[in-house]
Amino acid sequence: MHYIRTIVILLIIYLALTGNLQLSNIVLGTLVSTVAALLLRPQPGPTDLRRLPAAGWALIRYTAILAVDVVKSGIGVARIVLDPALPIQPGIIAIDSGCDSELGTALSAHALSVTPGELVIGIDKAGTLYTHCLDATHSAEYVADAQAMRRDLLSKIFP
Amino acid sequence: MHTFLEFIAILAVIIGTAFSVLGVLGFIRMPDVYTRLHATGKVSIFGVVLLLLATVALTPLEFGKGLVLIVLLVVGGPVTSHAIGSAAHRIGIPMKRAIRDDLAAIEQTPP
Repeated sequence: MHYIRTIVILLIIYLALTGNLQLSNIVLGTLVSTVAALLLRPQPGPTDLRRLPAAGWALIRYTAILAVDVVKSGIGVARIVLDPALPIQPGIIAIDSGCDSELGTALSAHALSVTPGELVIGIDKAGTLYTHCLDATHSAEYVADAQAMRRDLLSKIFP
Repeated sequence: MHTFLEFIAILAVIIGTAFSVLGVLGFIRMPDVYTRLHATGKVSIFGVVLLLLATVALTPLEFGKGLVLIVLLVVGGPVTSHAIGSAAHRIGIPMKRAIRDDLAAIEQTPP
């Protein structure tokens, strides 16, 4: 079942990239997706269609937050670059990801990396994210609070 | 409607190009590899996303294709920055003007 789910997702991405809905292209896309899914070896996960609407809504909200973060991040770093004094106090601070699963930790790290002035450099086995900040005077709690909302949304999308 | 779309696309081209240039400027001005990753990985990605949006509006590139490319860029960009930053720290490239380094403290602690 989890293989079919992965093949369908990959096929949708393939068709969106090629922009061609002819039968021959769909067959080719299915073949390519199947080979890619076999190479990826997806892990079985819970498939509950009843939580699909909630997950979809969480995905839309997360995408919107991500888009705002990308814009804020771009503008924030651009302002620092343009400032003649270059106002940075860089450092690496440890932040607890708060996630048990590897997927959750990875997505949490991604969400943190797109926020302004933060970039995850390392992750240890306990799920602690070592984050390089342009302004390391922020405490770990401050960054972790900002991260909590994204983590809640991610847990609804990927339980 | 078409003119409005063209106006938005041209605006996106101008802002996207400006941010791409700022990314390069940040790359030159920032003091070390870690801070440079912020400039190239964030400012430039924002610039390229805007340029892609303009491309969808101005050229025959399909909306779906543009959307997938934007998603791949936003998902892949931070991963690339993380890989470079992680490798740099692992081989011991020092941070400049750093006020704290929690990762070094962990690495120096014997298991």
